[in-house]
Amino acid sequence: MVACLTFGNDRLPAATHFLLVEGLGGTQQYAERFRNQVERMSEALRSTVGDERLVTVLAGGNATSAGIGTAFERLATSMQPGDALAVLLVGHGTHDGSGYKFNIPGPDISGSQLKHWLDGVPAARQLVVSTTSSSGGMLEALKAPHRVVITATKSGRERNATIFGEFFAEAFGEAGADTNRNEAISALEAFQYAERKVKGHYADRQRLATEHPQLQGDRADAFLLARLAEGAALAESEDTRALLEQREGLEGRIAELTLRKDSMEPSEYLEALEELLLDMAEIQRQISEATEADPTP
Amino acid sequence: MTLSGAWLRAASIALAAAPVALAARGDERGVRDTDLRACDAMHDRGNVAEAASCYRGIARRGNAGAQAEAYWMLGDLKAANDNFREAVRLDPEDPELRVRWGYLYLESHQDSEAANLFQEALELDEEHVPALLGMATVLASRFEGKAADLVEQALEERPDQVLGHLLTARMALEEGDLSSGREALKQALSRVRELGTVPLETYALLASLEMLEGTRDNEWVTKALEYNQRYGQVYAEQAHFYVITRRYREATERLRKAVRTAPNLWRAHAELGVNLLREGREREGREHLEIAYGGDPYSAKTVNTLRLLDSSDQFETFEDRDPADPGKVSALFKLDKDESALLLPFVRSLTRRAVAEFSRKYDFALKEPVRIELYPNHDDFAVRTMAMPGIGLLGVTFGYVVAMDSPSGREPGGFHWGTTLWHELAHVFTLEATDHLVPRWYSEGISMYEEWMADPRWGESIGPEYVEAVRKGDLLPLAELDRGFIRPKHPGQVAISYMQAGFVCRFIADRWGEPKLVDLLRGFAQDKTTPANLKAVLGMSTDEIDEHFEEYMLEVLGPAADGLPRWRESLKEALEAARGRDWPAAVEPARRAKAAYPQHVGSGSAYVLLARALDEGGDRAAAIEELLEYERRGGRMPETLKKLGRWLEEAGRADAAVHTYEGLIYNWPQDEDLHARLGELYLGSGRTEAAKQAFDAVLAMDPLDRATAEYNLARAYVKLGNLARAREHVLQALERAPTFRPALQLLLQVQR
Repeated sequence: MVACLTFGNDRLPAATHFLLVEGLGGTQQYAERFRNQVERMSEALRSTVGDERLVTVLAGGNATSAGIGTAFERLATSMQPGDALAVLLVGHGTHDGSGYKFNIPGPDISGSQLKHWLDGVPAARQLVVSTTSSSGGMLEALKAPHRVVITATKSGRERNATIFGEFFAEAFGEAGADTNRNEAISALEAFQYAERKVKGHYADRQRLATEHPQLQGDRADAFLLARLAEGAALAESEDTRALLEQREGLEGRIAELTLRKDSMEPSEYLEALEELLLDMAEIQRQISEATEADPTP
Repeated sequence: MTLSGAWLRAASIALAAAPVALAARGDERGVRDTDLRACDAMHDRGNVAEAASCYRGIARRGNAGAQAEAYWMLGDLKAANDNFREAVRLDPEDPELRVRWGYLYLESHQDSEAANLFQEALELDEEHVPALLGMATVLASRFEGKAADLVEQALEERPDQVLGHLLTARMALEEGDLSSGREALKQALSRVRELGTVPLETYALLASLEMLEGTRDNEWVTKALEYNQRYGQVYAEQAHFYVITRRYREATERLRKAVRTAPNLWRAHAELGVNLLREGREREGREHLEIAYGGDPYSAKTVNTLRLLDSSDQFETFEDRDPADPGKVSALFKLDKDESALLLPFVRSLTRRAVAEFSRKYDFALKEPVRIELYPNHDDFAVRTMAMPGIGLLGVTFGYVVAMDSPSGREPGGFHWGTTLWHELAHVFTLEATDHLVPRWYSEGISMYEEWMADPRWGESIGPEYVEAVRKGDLLPLAELDRGFIRPKHPGQVAISYMQAGFVCRFIADRWGEPKLVDLLRGFAQDKTTPANLKAVLGMSTDEIDEHFEEYMLEVLGPAADGLPRWRESLKEALEAARGRDWPAAVEPARRAKAAYPQHVGSGSAYVLLARALDEGGDRAAAIEELLEYERRGGRMPETLKKLGRWLEEAGRADAAVHTYEGLIYNWPQDEDLHARLGELYLGSGRTEAAKQAFDAVLAMDPLDRATAEYNLARAYVKLGNLARAREHVLQALERAPTFRPALQLLLQVQR
């Protein structure tokens, strides 16, 4: 199944294309760490989107400026205008005072180069994640209405190696990150999980945090990154596909209702919410019935 | 007291204008030429305008050293500093100049720089009396025991002096040794009369001595004011002794007189401001601090306290009312907004419990609401409590005001906030029941004793330093125990004195019964001295009690004292085996270490090591027993105790797990999982109200998985029969997680 989310009347991209780039580790320890993170994320993405062609991974000798440029060119020609693009950069970054650089074999790529490539792709929505040091240094350059940017640091001045990527990758298979309990992990959930973990990491060690993760842009929740085991099984089942679509529609209606919450009377809002949730309970019951003997919601 | 960060920030500010009130003068603090003495004589008699004119003349025409002194007296510390620098450049071998420069730094609140200059002077002349006295002044102000040695050396070098005797007297009075203080002041007064020097400082200390003996407005106050009608310092000096004996109300009264007598005595304004804050009077305290800041903007005490007051928006205050009399506020809690929702229920319930228990036990009803302040930033706490002797403070009680670190201000396992609050609340009772007349050792002793009585898991564990002190007979005699708190001879003596004071109270309770502790408190309320009170209540002299106490301590800790070498050796062997992951080989030495010194539950505890070794060997049941013993004896590492809780849960010992987790709340409450586990265990055992509180605590921590937290709270409300609240929370859970199946199922139960 192609990663596809419907959200009320606001139809989201038909397909999401992923580009993962593994930068230089510098030391064996970091190289292994980055490789593990990329493997973890790419496995989850492939399993989620169900189409290997939608997930491109560049590492080692392929992760050069030329290699990345070629990948963007390919995306620019293969993507449909309604599609979405997610770019994930894993590794070390630097900031020389004038701009961000992602460390790769050969010449590094700059934030402005990345912006140039991203602007050349006809994607309705874009997600850029950089787990590197100094990654906050590209926030301003990448700002665009249709783009969500996630960075490990708040600015280019946070230059120490980061732990954010470790937790961001961990979120792809972590039920604890699934805060909306839909058996799937969105970019928003992965960010929130990693941000919380980073904070705890430094607090537990009584150390001053040298990284402050940032999320820029709206609707990071619309980027699906991973399905947890049960969610993946449901997505693959012919029996539940129609029910899942109904469920997604209902989720969209609930999301719309929550957007109107502040303009409604509390009791009116709760009643409307309850009504939708009772419909949701019925759908969940039917999904359970279709997949197992337990007919509970 | 550990001070860092914010406290020190202001101290790094360079010299600039500061008041002249305490400008230190006189031959014993360095040479002073004839012209300056003429100006000084006018100043000392309170003829400020004439003196200023005189000093201005010297500032225009004197040599660099004299100009520095003149500018100093005129309040231009920047010019004074520049001139001292020039004078030292011109005559680098003169220790006198460095000493005088050092005093200038002392006046501008830069003690470390002052100490450096006194040290440089001593390097030029190791027997230089003014330098020895300068260094002693710095050390005495930090309550360091070495000050007395330096003064002794200075008096040997030059017996015919005033300042050495004054320093001796001051230190004796601070330690409560009035007879030694009186003797030293007699010497000082005699020297003053012989030498014809300014008597004001001697009068001020004599006025303080008589005040400590019971007469506040005495002949020495009168003499001082007759000599110089603007000498407000005589009252400020008295206030100092009230502050260090924790009699803050009396200190406030003296400080008010000080600033009325000398309105530009900025230090007294600052002290008055800080003291008013100790009494919980923030508005008035701020007024005096702002006056102090206006006159002396470079005082770390003033700047940091004002900065702390400015940060009060980050705090909120909650009232608690007496359940028996809801119209009466019984307590006030000042908590950081970010953690108040989590901490308030636990702080409130522990305070209620302590106040009820201490009121009953000590037969004393609090006359005002107790005010409890928790600071997540340790520097803020340090600012709030500065000017108190002692080290490594976690909490301080100023009568009805308790200030302490919040649990989030320390690393996990480094701070047991429950026992600290209990300790401080015991101080509220010992201080208020005696109108603050209780000696330091007894107040600390009762607080330590009450920690141990509250819960075997609470209170300071008995560290090897104390066991060593018992073994070597290094404990202080009871009559001198206050000195261990106020002017310790070595860095570890404060902690040992706390422990000793606690054990003395325990000894009294064990031997004569707990009511005698109350009788002693009543005796102190009548202003009895320690020897007189002990004799009256226990029928023994302090020497006799010391003898019996030594026997008692050897009985309690003798085996551990003898076992220390074996404990070290066995622990080392066990740790080496553990490092090599040879767990079977770690078991026996860990058992030997435990047997040699069973009270040790601090870092590197044999219990923890043994539990790990046993568990790795497959004997989880035995491992649990070791950790239970670790916990019973006051082991505090949250991770270890959490593991014990999980093991108990897995072993089906839910009640024991609850006991362990509940204990952890008073140790490290910032743990979502801890409260969630407790909530589940409470629900499982039918303690639904407690479950609701536990799930409330999870929500108060703004959990990432808020949907589950709301759902759990809804479950608790269902069991409490409150379906409306259950619906509210389950809808909040589902608003965030619309497909959350257990919550949907619950919604079907509670829907309208």
